[in-house]
Amino acid sequence: MTNPTVSRRLFNILGPFFGLVLVIGLFSLSPTVRPYFLTGANFKIILTQTVIVAIGTLGMTMIIVSGGIDLSVGSVVALTSVVGAISLVKGFSPLVAIFFTLAVGAGIGLINGLVIGGLRMMPFIVTLGMMGVARGTAKWLSGSQTVDSPKTPIIDNLMALSEPTRLFPFPRGVWIVVGLAIVMALVMRETVFGRYIFAIGANEAAARLSGIRVQLQKVLIYTVGGLFFGLAGLMQLSRLTLGDPTAAIGLELDIIAAVVIGGASLSGGTGSILGSMIGALIMAVLRNGSNQMGWPTYMQEIIIGVVIIFAVALDKLRR
Amino acid sequence: MPKFLQHLVLVGLSIAALLTVRGAESYTIAVIPKGTTHEFWKSIHAGAIKAQRELTGQGTKVEIIWKGPLREDDRDQQIQVVENFMARHVSAIVLAPLDSQALVNPVHNAILAKVPVVVMDSDLKSDEYVSFVATDNYKGGQLAGEQMGKLLGGKGNVILLRYAVGSASTEARENGFLDVLKGKYPNIKIISSDQHAGATRESAYQTSQNILNRFGREVNGVFCPCEPPTIAMTKALRDIGLAGGKVKMIGFDAGSQSVLDMKNGDVQALAVQNPMLMGYLGVTTAVKHLRGEKVEKRIDTGVALVTPENMNEPEIKDLLYPPFDKYLK
Repeated sequence: MTNPTVSRRLFNILGPFFGLVLVIGLFSLSPTVRPYFLTGANFKIILTQTVIVAIGTLGMTMIIVSGGIDLSVGSVVALTSVVGAISLVKGFSPLVAIFFTLAVGAGIGLINGLVIGGLRMMPFIVTLGMMGVARGTAKWLSGSQTVDSPKTPIIDNLMALSEPTRLFPFPRGVWIVVGLAIVMALVMRETVFGRYIFAIGANEAAARLSGIRVQLQKVLIYTVGGLFFGLAGLMQLSRLTLGDPTAAIGLELDIIAAVVIGGASLSGGTGSILGSMIGALIMAVLRNGSNQMGWPTYMQEIIIGVVIIFAVALDKLRR
Repeated sequence: MPKFLQHLVLVGLSIAALLTVRGAESYTIAVIPKGTTHEFWKSIHAGAIKAQRELTGQGTKVEIIWKGPLREDDRDQQIQVVENFMARHVSAIVLAPLDSQALVNPVHNAILAKVPVVVMDSDLKSDEYVSFVATDNYKGGQLAGEQMGKLLGGKGNVILLRYAVGSASTEARENGFLDVLKGKYPNIKIISSDQHAGATRESAYQTSQNILNRFGREVNGVFCPCEPPTIAMTKALRDIGLAGGKVKMIGFDAGSQSVLDMKNGDVQALAVQNPMLMGYLGVTTAVKHLRGEKVEKRIDTGVALVTPENMNEPEIKDLLYPPFDKYLK
């Protein structure tokens, strides 16, 4: 009885890993690209480019496992990056600006959660609406223009590449992702809150009948998710050194794809933080590799699309 | 015998020198536009290919990697492309930055990693790049101003319809235009110069109609600093029967609609940039720098004034209808 579940769990974890190795192997085949692709310097770049999507997937994994979805991520990232930049321009200290950025993210998550939990509405529709609301607010606050943020080392250094020819040191953002991923993996597996998320996603009615306060949990899930999206916005601000109301359009789709490639099911109940992180890495490696191979942009889009479908097909097979 | 040896050594050395030169003369250059669908960027691509063919003809092997951001106008995506080519150790990068600030750090890193960067089309808030290859927009505006002065015979009422708030390139054109009129043609009165057309053709059309509604009876000439307002204003003039030369219309850039409007006599002059030359000079400047030659920090790719009289000359024709077929398959 234990054997099949152990092997299934192993397969669940190894599946995405195998995909990552496959993708890295694919680009290593080309002799002209290999000497540059398989270098510490390049992997530092890939990791840095993964940070924003990876932080997004931390929140999104939770939401998707609970059987929900959040389409407003890209807009929230843009809005919070604008909020951060404006706070800096207005002369607030960097820590206060960081607080505002995260608070706006969490606040939007709270609103999403209250509407979804309180009014029992479809997350798809609610967050689709929020996508427009947050994007519009970002444009309104910024006057539809980018907001140049003054030099603030604490924020700028989060994502700044230093020593571009070597693997270390990593930008601080990479370490933040590693740390948060470990925390979230523990939260999902070891805490009551985490087990509730799986229970709600697997069978909401059963969860309710066994005494879980489903609506309250949903408010919590979306709020924590929003907090992560605010953090992603902070990273976006750091990377661009400006707040951009048109940034990150369609980012939520990259994030959802990463979560799904990582083995989560859109119908809820399954998924893992580790898998989602690897999913995010696979997408970044694909982009990095196809840039360096000189493949045209449309090829990249097609390949990433095929990978997503392939990953979901694999998911079907292992059930 | 020693003489023979000497010769042998000399021949050997020169062959070695030749070989090393040939060996070093092979470059991979990444050309990164702001987007890939607009005709303007296709012209730049064609220019880059033209440079590649010429250099290859001269014995310098050049490979061009043409790569825009995955999502057009997405700053983060363009940063990723720059970083990925930096890691790929291309010989040089030719970049049209989507943003004058957001791309500063990536360019700084590329230069740290010993990948020189030539900036084209739009400026970057940095002085680390090799050269800035772009249209001198102020000069382009001056050219349009001169033509307006000539067309109106030095007197009349002129409208300037601005493009958008915060767009540096069009503001330079607007300033060039106004400075020439104010300095050289004191009898020309600027009756409106504070209206912005906005980025879309629809908003430009509405603004044009509103301005003409107010000033339509007194206006003698109009200048628009880029393509959307040029097309919109011409249409608005046509609507109220002032097109066809009754009001002198000068525009900027050669979109296919504007060229058609000029053929029909509704546009009297177009100041036209040379994106193909921009792509060409971007690549050749990068190669010059790689060879160790000195290059200018600022290279002007010029603006030509196209009028109904000269629009059929071969040089102008190449500007209006860039020979894509010849360079892009």
